[in-house]
Amino acid sequence: MKSLTIAATVVLVAAGAFVVFVPSYTGVPRAAVQVGLPQQVQFFTVAEQSRLNQSPAPLPPAPAGGADTPAHFKNVTVLTDVGAAEFMRLQTAITAWVAPEQGCSFCHGGSDYASDARPEKRVARVMLLMTRHLNSDWTKHLAGAGVTCYTCHRGQPVPPEIWFPSTPPQHNAFIDRQENWRESADTVRKFFPDDSYAEYLYDDEPISVQSTTVEPSGTVSSRIEAKRIYELMMTMSDGIGVNCGYCHNSRYFASWAQSTPYRWIGYDGIRLLRDINTNYLRRVASTAPQTRALTKVTNLPVLPPQQVYPQTGNGLALCATCHLGITRPLNGVNLVHDYPELIGSSRSVPVAKTAASPPPAG
Amino acid sequence: MARFHTLFTAIELEGPFEGGPPLPRGSNPRMLMPRRSVWLGRLGESQVGPTYLGGLGLLSLACGFIAIEVIGLNMWASVDWNIIRFIKMLPFLALEPPSARQGLHLFPPLDDGGWYLIAGFFLTASILLWWARMYLRAKALGMGTHVAWAFASAIWLYLVLGFIRPIMMGSWSEAVPFGVIAHLNWTATFSVRYGNLFYNPFHMLSIVFLYGSTMLFTMHGGTILATTRFGGDHETREIVDPGSAMERSALFWRWTMGFNANFESIHAWIYTFAILTTLTGGIGILMTGTVVDNWYLWGVKHGIAPEYAQVLPTPPAPPPGVAAEKQPHLGPSQ
Repeated sequence: MKSLTIAATVVLVAAGAFVVFVPSYTGVPRAAVQVGLPQQVQFFTVAEQSRLNQSPAPLPPAPAGGADTPAHFKNVTVLTDVGAAEFMRLQTAITAWVAPEQGCSFCHGGSDYASDARPEKRVARVMLLMTRHLNSDWTKHLAGAGVTCYTCHRGQPVPPEIWFPSTPPQHNAFIDRQENWRESADTVRKFFPDDSYAEYLYDDEPISVQSTTVEPSGTVSSRIEAKRIYELMMTMSDGIGVNCGYCHNSRYFASWAQSTPYRWIGYDGIRLLRDINTNYLRRVASTAPQTRALTKVTNLPVLPPQQVYPQTGNGLALCATCHLGITRPLNGVNLVHDYPELIGSSRSVPVAKTAASPPPAG
Repeated sequence: MARFHTLFTAIELEGPFEGGPPLPRGSNPRMLMPRRSVWLGRLGESQVGPTYLGGLGLLSLACGFIAIEVIGLNMWASVDWNIIRFIKMLPFLALEPPSARQGLHLFPPLDDGGWYLIAGFFLTASILLWWARMYLRAKALGMGTHVAWAFASAIWLYLVLGFIRPIMMGSWSEAVPFGVIAHLNWTATFSVRYGNLFYNPFHMLSIVFLYGSTMLFTMHGGTILATTRFGGDHETREIVDPGSAMERSALFWRWTMGFNANFESIHAWIYTFAILTTLTGGIGILMTGTVVDNWYLWGVKHGIAPEYAQVLPTPPAPPPGVAAEKQPHLGPSQ
C-alpha cells in the first residue's frame, strides 16, 4: 500500500514535470512602445509590426504644370481638381496600394480606361470620395496622419480586417435566441458573436451600459445589450491593441471625468466608423456586393483565411481595419502629405448624388 | 515525519461491513449492497454503500434528470442535432431565460424562455427535494440538522439569483442562463451594469467569508493532522476532555497568533463562515437593481470609495449628438 502511494505520487510529479518542461512555451517575440501618457505601454508582435505596419515609400513627385485632368481624361468625376500628371501618379500609387498583383485591369476592363463596366472601378470611385471625406472632415480623429487606400488595404484588394453583416442563427423550434458564435473562426475575436458591429458601428444605437444613479432609475441596459457592448469594447481594444484602462477607469467605466482623454478619440472613432459604414461602404454594396461569388477570382487569394464563414452583403469597417492592432495606423506615417489630392474637400461633391448615380450600362 | 502529509489515507481499516441501524417501519429498502474499494479507500472510507434513496431521493434524481435533459436537448437543438458540434461547442451553448418582453409571464412560448422555466422548475424542485432528504436523513440518524442548514444557505443564493430577484425586478430575463460561458457572461455583465459589484458591501463580506472559510479550513485540517499522534483525531472527545493534542494545538496557535479556537469553536467558526459566504452573497445580489443601481456611486455617497481629484486633462465638450445621460459625469468634488 505504501509503495502504491509512492508510485502514485511519482506519477503525478512526473506528469507535472512533463507539463512544465516538455512543451515549448516560447511566445512570439513582443516589443513594447510607450505611446503617450505614462503607464500607457503598447505590446505588439514584432512580426506583425514589420509585415503589415510598414508604410510604402511615396512615389517621386509628378512634374509640375501639364494639362488638367478633366480636359485630359474622360469620365473623371471625383479627382477633377487634380493635374493630369498628378492624376497618373495617384493611379499608379492606388494600384500598388490596392491591387499590386492584379494591376490596372483590376478596375479597368479592356482598353477603354474610361469605361465604368467593372464594379471594382465604381467602388474605387466611392472609395476615393470616402478617403477625401475622411482626410478633410475627420482631421481630429486622424490626428494629422491622414488616410490613403493603403491604410486599410495594405496591398490587398480586400483589406485584411473587415467584417460582414452576420446572418442571424437559424430559428429553431426549440430556442430562438442562440448566441451567434462563429464556429469556423480561427481567432478568439472572430469566434465571438459580431452582432454588436451592426448595432454600434453601423446603426446609431446608444452605447450605454451602466446606471448613472445610486438608486434604480431605469437607466441600466439589458443584459443582452451589455453583452453586445462588451463585445464591441473587446473589438476596439483588440483592434487598437490596448486594454480597458487605456481609455476607461475600471472602477467606473461610464464616467467621462475619470476616463483618459483617449476615450474621446475612441468615441470619435466610433462615430467615424458609423459615418463611413453608412454613407460609403454600405452604398457600394449595391454596386459590388462582396459576396463569395463576386470575390472569386481576384479576391480569393487575399481574403483572410479566417473569413470562411458565410458572408453576405458588403465588407464594412471596424477599428482594426485601419489600426491593425496598433494605436497609430502605420505607426502614424503621414502618407497623405505626399498625395495632397486625397485631401480635397468631399463636401463639394455631394456624396449621395455621386454614389447613387446609376452605373453606365455594360 | 512524512505521515499524514499526503492526500492519500495512511490507514485503511478492514473488517465486517457496517450495515447501518435498522430502518424505521415503512421505509424503502437500502440500495447498493456494501462492498470494499481499495482505491476509494485511498481517498476516503473504503466501504462503499449501502445507501438510502427513499421517495425524496428518487423524486429528486428524477427532477434533476428532467432538468439536465431539457437543458441538454435545447443545447443540442441549437447546433442542429449535430453531435460533433455539440461536444465542440458545449461550453458556449446555453439555455437562456425568457426575453425581457415576457416579464414575469409564467408560460412564455417554449422558444422564448419556456424551456428555461421548465428546466428551472425541475432543477429547483430537485434541489429542494434533496434538501428535504438531507434534513430527514439527519433526523433519522438522530443527528443535528447542521448540514441541511448549511446547504439551505447555498440554496438561498441559488433562489435569489434565479427566482427571488427576477420576481422583484419584474422579469424572468434577469435570471442566470444555464450554460458554462453563458453564466460567466451573466456574471461579468451583472457587475458592469450595476456600477461595479466590488463596491457592494455584501459582495465584500461574501468574499471575506469565502476566503476566510478556506483559510480556517486548512488551519483546522492542518492542526488535526499535526496532532493526530497525540489524539487530535479524537476531536469531539477533546472538546469535553482536553488532552495533550488539545493543549499542544492551543499552545501552537497562541504562540503564532496570540489567540486560539478550542476544539468546539473551530468547527463553529468554519461552519458559520461557510454559511455566511452564500448568505451575504445572496443579500448583495438581491439588493442589486432593486434598491441600489450603481454600487460605485453608492460607495462614493457613503464614503466607501474616495472621489479622487481629476489628474488628467479636462475632457473636451461632448461632440454634438451625445445623449444627455452620456454627458461627462462630474462628481461633487470635481
